[in-house]
Amino acid sequence: MKLDPAIRDQVLATVPSLRAFAISLCGNIDRADDLVQETLLRALAHIDSFQPGTNMPAWLFTILRNLFRSEYRKRRREVEDADGRYAETLKSHPEQTGRVEFSEFRAALAKLPSEQREALILVGASGFSYEDAAAICGCAVGTIKSRVNRARTRLADLLAIDSVDDFGPDRATRAVLAGGGRS
Amino acid sequence: MKTGKTVTIQPPAPNEDKPEARDAMGRPVTQRKSEVRLGREVQARIGQQLRAMYDEVVSEGVPQHISDLVRRLSDRDDGAA
Repeated sequence: MKLDPAIRDQVLATVPSLRAFAISLCGNIDRADDLVQETLLRALAHIDSFQPGTNMPAWLFTILRNLFRSEYRKRRREVEDADGRYAETLKSHPEQTGRVEFSEFRAALAKLPSEQREALILVGASGFSYEDAAAICGCAVGTIKSRVNRARTRLADLLAIDSVDDFGPDRATRAVLAGGGRS
Repeated sequence: MKTGKTVTIQPPAPNEDKPEARDAMGRPVTQRKSEVRLGREVQARIGQQLRAMYDEVVSEGVPQHISDLVRRLSDRDDGAA
């Protein structure tokens, strides 16, 4: 039986956001794309367990997050400090993680505990409700709220934002881009 | 010399134990309102930055190999459930 084209389109429509989430979890585009691919393989193999009319993005995000977690746990056995490794990835391959423009912000994000990071991304960037984010992460709504709050507070500290003028990713980089480099 | 002395470990003092300047009404003298406002501003900026970073990836759309994969899998005659 072929997949209902409407369902297929819902899956495809979720892919861009799913990739963005994967990249924010992995900090590496290649790994993120592998993760997305694996998520889609698994999702389509179990598409019967998706109830039409329910939240497709939340369903796919849950699968991706679970896959990432199990991989993360495996990696943790290999490398004790998985978060440190994540930060290291960012340091050595900034070009793999998006434009340089966001490097300072990404570096700060990388310093958050992974549970806080994912909660913040789901709520603050993916636009999920606290309830959906809690379902995706398999925890209580209050837990998500507190993770998001702690993440925001910590980010503000890390970025040392104490005035509007002070805020800005890589002002130096921006100045360089604005001032020179035109050929 | 005392023996059997019980050592009580105090938990870290909560914030309210910090001596803080207070006005006649017992309210903290620090400028709470502007702190809150600044906090909101900072949070709004963090939110903007977060979304900008995220949307940068979203705007790349669906990579060709992913779209091929999904189409291939969904067109497959999949007898096994």
